Amino acid sequence: MRAIIASEWLKARTVRSHWVLLAIAVAFPLIISTLVGIFNPDPQFMSYRELGSMTTGTGVVSLLLLTSLWVINLTSEFTHGTIRVTYAAVPARWKVIVSKAVVGTAVTLVVMTVLFWSTFGVGALLLDRRGAPIIVDGWLGHTMGVWIALVALAVIVSWFGLSLGVIIKNSPVAIVVVLLWPLIIENLIALALTLSGIETARKWMPYQAAIQTVDNNPGLDDTLGRPWAHLYFAAFVLVILAVGVVVDRRRDA
Amino acid sequence: MISVEGLTKRFGSKLAIDDLSFEVQPGRVTGFLGPNGSGKSTTMRCMVDLDRPQAGTVRFSGRCYQDIVDPVTSIGALLDASYVHPGRSARHQLEWLAISNHLDRTRVSEVLELVGLTEVAHRRVKTYSLGMKQRLGLAATMLGDPEVIILDEPANGLDPEGIRWMRDMLKYLASQGRAVLVSSHQLSEIALMAEDLVVIGRGRLIAQEPARDFIARHTTTRVRVRSPQISELVESLRGQGADVSPEEKPLTTDGVLVVGLNMATVGELAHQRGVILHELSEVTDSLEDAFLAVTKDDQEYRSGPSS
Repeated sequence: MRAIIASEWLKARTVRSHWVLLAIAVAFPLIISTLVGIFNPDPQFMSYRELGSMTTGTGVVSLLLLTSLWVINLTSEFTHGTIRVTYAAVPARWKVIVSKAVVGTAVTLVVMTVLFWSTFGVGALLLDRRGAPIIVDGWLGHTMGVWIALVALAVIVSWFGLSLGVIIKNSPVAIVVVLLWPLIIENLIALALTLSGIETARKWMPYQAAIQTVDNNPGLDDTLGRPWAHLYFAAFVLVILAVGVVVDRRRDA
Repeated sequence: MISVEGLTKRFGSKLAIDDLSFEVQPGRVTGFLGPNGSGKSTTMRCMVDLDRPQAGTVRFSGRCYQDIVDPVTSIGALLDASYVHPGRSARHQLEWLAISNHLDRTRVSEVLELVGLTEVAHRRVKTYSLGMKQRLGLAATMLGDPEVIILDEPANGLDPEGIRWMRDMLKYLASQGRAVLVSSHQLSEIALMAEDLVVIGRGRLIAQEPARDFIARHTTTRVRVRSPQISELVESLRGQGADVSPEEKPLTTDGVLVVGLNMATVGELAHQRGVILHELSEVTDSLEDAFLAVTKDDQEYRSGPSS
């Protein structure tokens, strides 16, 4: 298994388009944080909570870009036919999928962590100089919670992208579905269920439940709260992934 | 040795492979022939567990493909040279394959040298010609020094030097005791390298036998005779029970093709009659003639008249 993971790691880092996506994912929040730190007209109203929310907001864009990278990392194999070479070399197809998930998880963990703290750090440094109350009591605990929630969400969404990629096999379609899932698909399902009398339907939409608890954890009745929202979303994604692995095992490569 | 037994594969309602059984012996190059759409590529994909057959088994020295640990080290398969990521270099393409099957990376340099791509190994594959991709595919096939080699149309896009190199290499690999199965539409190439043939049509086995026997069984050997006294000789030949017909290509007035007598007998007969001969030669049909004769009823796609 280690050999297959090493092989997938080499595959992931030897395609230029992957590096381009990664560079955009890293640069985007840093640029936004720098601009906010320099040009925010009312720095005195920026607390660690607002900075954390901004870091999360830009971080979600980065996690979607990273997810697109992991989708492409798999679906491009179907597009170019290299999946046949891969599966001929590794007949246990699930090992390939799991290895891709392991590589995606490791890179996502590292990148999102570096990205979160550097974005938060740049913003805090610039705003602190302008008198914003960033480093005050309670900032570290709150920010750590946001960081863990964001990174966990990024990892789960990367698995989600991989799962859809295995089933759909087509890069553009898989990426569109991943991006539109929380915006359109879950909203439509929630609306249909609400209209049919299930008032709490929105609370049980897995992707939205996890997103809602990233930068705040109110623990109100209308959200699942941490860590339950993330665990619920992860369980949902693992079911999709299992379906993908079974479908992939049965069909022609 | 490769043993294919009762292989059956459907795509929806279309039966692509129909209860196909054959064997590929070690130490020999086996040509895998069939018209377009006859199921050659599907068979090869089923052999390496990429396509899921509805019935049948494929065994490599008694083992199923999925039971072979690190299959690159036992079976080298080149199914399509375009199965490479265009944005990845040739070296990286081979490195990930080597790593996945616990092969040393030094082996990558060796096979790149073997196929003559060392100088361009750092270049992205999208800059490669089809012939260069074929060489890269052959490098991947040889990466694990396998005992079984399966190649689908490996000569496509190769230049004459490349074709000769590939032919010599496959014969050399077979001479080392490996089982080599190669499909190709370039029948002249197959004729030069294959000792055995497996011929299929519409997914069914048509023939499996040594190439020499296949050609002999499905073609007719004739004797070409040219003489200024051809009419005298024709009469004598027919008297001996030979079937004599005028030569069509090239169109000559002094030439005939004789069926039913061997060259020595025709020569002796001419000598006895005092007939001067300008040419006496044996005309043997090619593998292409034999193949077309055998598969004439199994062509999935037929061309219209050329003019």
